Amino acid sequence: MSVRVQLPPLLRPVSGGLRTLEAEGSSIAAVLADIAKKHPPLALHFFDEAGAIRHNIVFLHDGAMIRAKEAAARQLKDGDEVVITNALAGG
Amino acid sequence: MEIALIVGTPKGAAVLKSKDGSNWAHDFVLRGWPVTASARDDAGRTYVAVNSPNYGVALFASDDLNAWKQLEAAPRYRPEDRGNPEHHRLVAKEDFGGILKGGGRFVDQIWNLHFAHGALWAGVSEAGLFVSRDRGASWAPIDGFNEQPGRESWAPGFGGLGAHTILSDANNPNRMWVGVSAAGLFRTDDGGKTWAPKNKGVNPAVDSAPATTGQCVHSVTHDPRNASVMFRQEHRGVHKSLDGGDSWQVMEDGLPIAELSDGHHCSFGFASGMDLKSGNVFVVPLDGDNFRFPKGGQLAVYRSGNGTDWEAKTKGLPADCYTAVLRGSLSADQKGGVYFGTASGVIYGSDDLGESWREIASGLPRIMSVEAYSA
Repeated sequence: MSVRVQLPPLLRPVSGGLRTLEAEGSSIAAVLADIAKKHPPLALHFFDEAGAIRHNIVFLHDGAMIRAKEAAARQLKDGDEVVITNALAGG
Repeated sequence: MEIALIVGTPKGAAVLKSKDGSNWAHDFVLRGWPVTASARDDAGRTYVAVNSPNYGVALFASDDLNAWKQLEAAPRYRPEDRGNPEHHRLVAKEDFGGILKGGGRFVDQIWNLHFAHGALWAGVSEAGLFVSRDRGASWAPIDGFNEQPGRESWAPGFGGLGAHTILSDANNPNRMWVGVSAAGLFRTDDGGKTWAPKNKGVNPAVDSAPATTGQCVHSVTHDPRNASVMFRQEHRGVHKSLDGGDSWQVMEDGLPIAELSDGHHCSFGFASGMDLKSGNVFVVPLDGDNFRFPKGGQLAVYRSGNGTDWEAKTKGLPADCYTAVLRGSLSADQKGGVYFGTASGVIYGSDDLGESWREIASGLPRIMSVEAYSA
């Protein structure tokens, strides 16, 4: 299953300047693992010391905001788009 | 000879280059990343540390200061390592996901990078020391330092529990020093296997702090070739050691004395540095921990040859200045040039050991680190 993933601006230089990536996986967590495998420097930014998705990362999928702890359960279908962003504060 | 300054800010790194010390080419790289430290290895590769509360800690490396590549590895604690509760309390404001509630220990910032004896060393927050012996391709924790008995009760400074200073002895690869806010300075004499606090004679952070590990060291400087002579800017004053840190004496003659929030009187500041060619030491005093800007608004660098007396150097520096110079923000290029950056984003440089200063750059974000390199 192939999905399109949009990286946050901060991480684009780490992926060679790419804004979006194609990745495989049936959940957001699986897609993240696939990207980290294809672009190893991104792994540091996705996963913490315990191997968990960094808790301040947030995903946008199908009109919903998905927290890191919900990423494994969030199912994807072929052709979906996922935006990686992060928790914001201020205003 | 080319001089290069790597200036760390919360929004990236300014790279300033000059062939003559007067005309500077400006670049701003790693945009968006908080940059906190840099170091250069003996083959000329420069490393910078980036730290994001959302995307973690990493290092970038460059051989020409133009193209930067992120390394695949970075210092990391083990999943089973337990954290310091007071550090967790201080950094919890950025813990949107509540991960600190699990009690783990995380590298949330690289405070210092230091190259010595063929290895790259990283001092981190939560306080710890890591080493890479393969140019950053892999990192190993220094357990002798990171697992010291009592570390769980070390008190953090307001910036967290950070290992912000690493010093080495050019003549003895087994001897190193690491400074931690606010636990003090530690030294190993056996290549990192064991460490001992080296804070005897240093004013404690507060009167109630532990005598051996309650010192709020802000920065330490020395000449690695004559490593036992050390200068230390403490929360409570400037100190000197002649025996590698075994004992310290207050050395503040000529420095401005401020009243701290607890009523203690001393010379407060963060940054210190040494020009190895001349042996001169530089500090930038601030008007105590209440105000944290230069006394009377006169930005001044104080210089001393041996610490017994200090002389203010103000030529070229502003008289109405209400900003700070942070701990990692003063550096010498070891060819006679001295540079520092302010929390309001201005870089000053001197090519005559501080007799006169000129503005090199302005309009930068808050400056968190300055490292000077000469080719």
